[in-house]
Amino acid sequence: MLSFIARRTISALGTLLLASVLVFLAVQALPGDVATKILGKDATPDAVAGLREQMGLDRPAWERYLDWVESALHGDFGTSLVSGKPVATEAAAHLGNSALIALVTVLFAVTGALVLGVLAGLYRDRWADHLISTVSLVGMSIPEFVVATVLVLCFSIALPWFPAVVLYGPDASVGQLLPAVWLPALALATVMAAYIVRMARTSVIDVMASEYVTTARLKGLSTWRVVTRHALPGALLPTLHVIALNVAWLVGGVAVVENVFNYPGIGKLLLTSVQNRDLPVIQAVALISAVVYVVCNLAADLGSMALNPKLRTRGRTR
Amino acid sequence: MTALVSVSSLSVSYRSGGQDVPVVREVSFELPEGRTLALVGESGSGKSTVAATLLGHLRHGSRLDGGEVRVDGHDVFALSPGRLRRLRGGTVAMVAQNAGHSLTPSMRVGRQIAEAGGGVPVLDLLEQVRLPRPAELARRYPHELSGGQQQRVSIAMALAARPRVLVLDEPTTGLDVVTQRGILDLVADLRDELGLAALLVSHDLGVVARMADEVSVLRLGRTVESAPTRKLFSRPEHAYTKRLLASVPRLADDGLALVGEAGEREIRARAVVPPQAPVAVSADDVTVDHGSVRAVHGVSFELRCGEIVALVGESGSGKSTLAWALAGLRAPSGGTMTHQSGDLTRLARKRPPGLRRRVQLVFQNADTSLNPRRSVGDAIRRPLRLFGTAPNREAATARARELVRDVQLDPALADRLPAQLSGGQRQRIGIARALAGEPDVLIADEITTALDVSVQAEVLRLLDDLRRERQLACLFISHDLAVVRGLADRVLVLRHGVVVEEGPTQAVFTDPGHPYTRELMAAALEPDPDARPPVDDVPDWEETADADGVWTDHGHGHRVRRWRPASTPLVEGVP
Repeated sequence: MLSFIARRTISALGTLLLASVLVFLAVQALPGDVATKILGKDATPDAVAGLREQMGLDRPAWERYLDWVESALHGDFGTSLVSGKPVATEAAAHLGNSALIALVTVLFAVTGALVLGVLAGLYRDRWADHLISTVSLVGMSIPEFVVATVLVLCFSIALPWFPAVVLYGPDASVGQLLPAVWLPALALATVMAAYIVRMARTSVIDVMASEYVTTARLKGLSTWRVVTRHALPGALLPTLHVIALNVAWLVGGVAVVENVFNYPGIGKLLLTSVQNRDLPVIQAVALISAVVYVVCNLAADLGSMALNPKLRTRGRTR
Repeated sequence: MTALVSVSSLSVSYRSGGQDVPVVREVSFELPEGRTLALVGESGSGKSTVAATLLGHLRHGSRLDGGEVRVDGHDVFALSPGRLRRLRGGTVAMVAQNAGHSLTPSMRVGRQIAEAGGGVPVLDLLEQVRLPRPAELARRYPHELSGGQQQRVSIAMALAARPRVLVLDEPTTGLDVVTQRGILDLVADLRDELGLAALLVSHDLGVVARMADEVSVLRLGRTVESAPTRKLFSRPEHAYTKRLLASVPRLADDGLALVGEAGEREIRARAVVPPQAPVAVSADDVTVDHGSVRAVHGVSFELRCGEIVALVGESGSGKSTLAWALAGLRAPSGGTMTHQSGDLTRLARKRPPGLRRRVQLVFQNADTSLNPRRSVGDAIRRPLRLFGTAPNREAATARARELVRDVQLDPALADRLPAQLSGGQRQRIGIARALAGEPDVLIADEITTALDVSVQAEVLRLLDDLRRERQLACLFISHDLAVVRGLADRVLVLRHGVVVEEGPTQAVFTDPGHPYTRELMAAALEPDPDARPPVDDVPDWEETADADGVWTDHGHGHRVRRWRPASTPLVEGVP
């Protein structure tokens, strides 16, 4: 079991390392000279050369990569070319705001999706199942920015319950942002939940038809106990990976939805920094998304190990 | 007084493809306290469906069409959900068919037993089903137990609620003969000890003869015949029962039993393999490893044209591994295997096509070894084209139909998908596919294990015909001694990858020399309640070898691996 955890963790770290190389290379491959871009077309060659030296652009790429990784490990992602503030502080503020949305989304989407998926699986082919399956199919087919726009139309314009856009900057407090969190979270949760519902439904149906669930029923156990003790651990296993992939997808989904609502999160930061060619920020945000993906998948693997005794007891002698 | 269980004109149908298909029609029986009734039938007879109704259970999509099931005076299908749960958790308990699948994989077995039951401590239950070290065992997960242990846990779980009726649905199918014997003895003891009424569902007439007081024979959902066990086995009345009984191979059959329409039995004399028949395959000191585990350990044999040699042993004895090595699906780690026309130690994909087509394997599960999306004709055509035995498409199609006819099927079946055929038909297609390369060696790996007895009889006959007509050499792998007895010319008994006894079938069965062979024979069950086991003493033994070698020769090629009585008798409680 320990060797399994160790192996998964090492491979996760390896993936991260690879991701950091790719992020760095991708940013290097962007066309045009950064210094010229920053200083404008009319800058003197001296000024450009000075800035290049100041940014370290005259050194070989591998050296700059090692520097970047080293300082990133110390929490230093460089300085934003636009605001002049440290990238780390800027990204952290945005990340915190996005995490607020993500947390609410995951909470809603995962619990809601699991409950609905399990219900649909248990009441297979009845009206509840048909309703849940149809709604989730609709949720799957509509892109999140359309859902977001519809939500704004309904709940900020027709019924002015929630703010349509956020008027605060990245330094807003949780209290200021809280009213603005619900609509983006709902938009993301709708799309995310749809996938989880369908997966949960399918695996619940599979497991409920298995011989061990029949046996548990024939032991005279209550339906509640049969479902929670015997069916769910088996049904959650395949669902877990779908959940992990969807949580990771949130990083991208957040970027789109945040722009609809002008929400000061990581997605908004990414978009502005791309527009401004703020390379250190782009690098940092890309790396953060990679970390989120890797951590989600690692969590899913460890979670499935917790649910599956065959993995847990591997290596133990009979 | 009324019976504990009474089923009267029970009818159940199953909805499939928009149509109601009756699976149980007007079945009635009574089960008094302390008695055992067996429901016997082949697949599709509805026997398991009937058994599950005793717990008020119908499969998803099934419907009760009529009749009633009364247990302890209550109509089970009229009970409220709460009362039904109490019935299941109290009066009636079920031991399901496949313990490996019926235990929840994510729960420790001790907890699974505990939640089933009344006040009986789990450890007492585990002791009652004679499992060693119950305290440690209760903390294990199902996958950490052997098949026999899982089945014992299943029984303990059923007994936990102290039921009065035990429903046993094929309780030993899939277990080895020796393990099966142990489980049946256990169930019989517990039943007598606790005074249980038992409903036993089985397709195995040997198991039924051993366990039941009364038998009901089902066919296509109807009761064909019901009688006390002894009467049913000695004087069956219905032609179907007679045919069923006649189809079961017996340990005394010296040749293949051919069964007539009315159930008459005729033993076909064994084909004589002339001593000058050429050797098709010879294996010498073959060793096969699974990683660090040695699965086959120095096995040698010769297989002559027109001869059937049987490999017998329990699961894990290495018999299938040896077959796979011969077929070229697994590389041996030592020894030689040679065919008339080449070296067989190489993997199939490295063998020249001429050699590859001459050694063919028929798989145990015809349903999983055929591509479900291709017609069976296609499955046969492919090797025809691959080995170049048919020059073009038309010739291949014609030859495929011919092969389907050769295995005694309607050539029109060639256009069907595997799922549209019955198990026996699929297994014949598997044989036809193997024959497509015109092999001279056929390896049959437990090919009749999954088949009903009457179908098994037909497939065995086909195999026997083929070797007579085509001089096919056949390596026949089976755990069923009675099947081997009628079909094979010679037998190799394998234990832990080592041959412990070999010789002409007749000699090995009439005078088994090795204790392990005797143990297998003692555990075999005959379809006759008065049958005495062919051997009853199985000495404790240990391996031995001296300067004269490891074999004791009994003449005529019958030889037995040396053994000696165990020096320290096993005492219970001593590790």
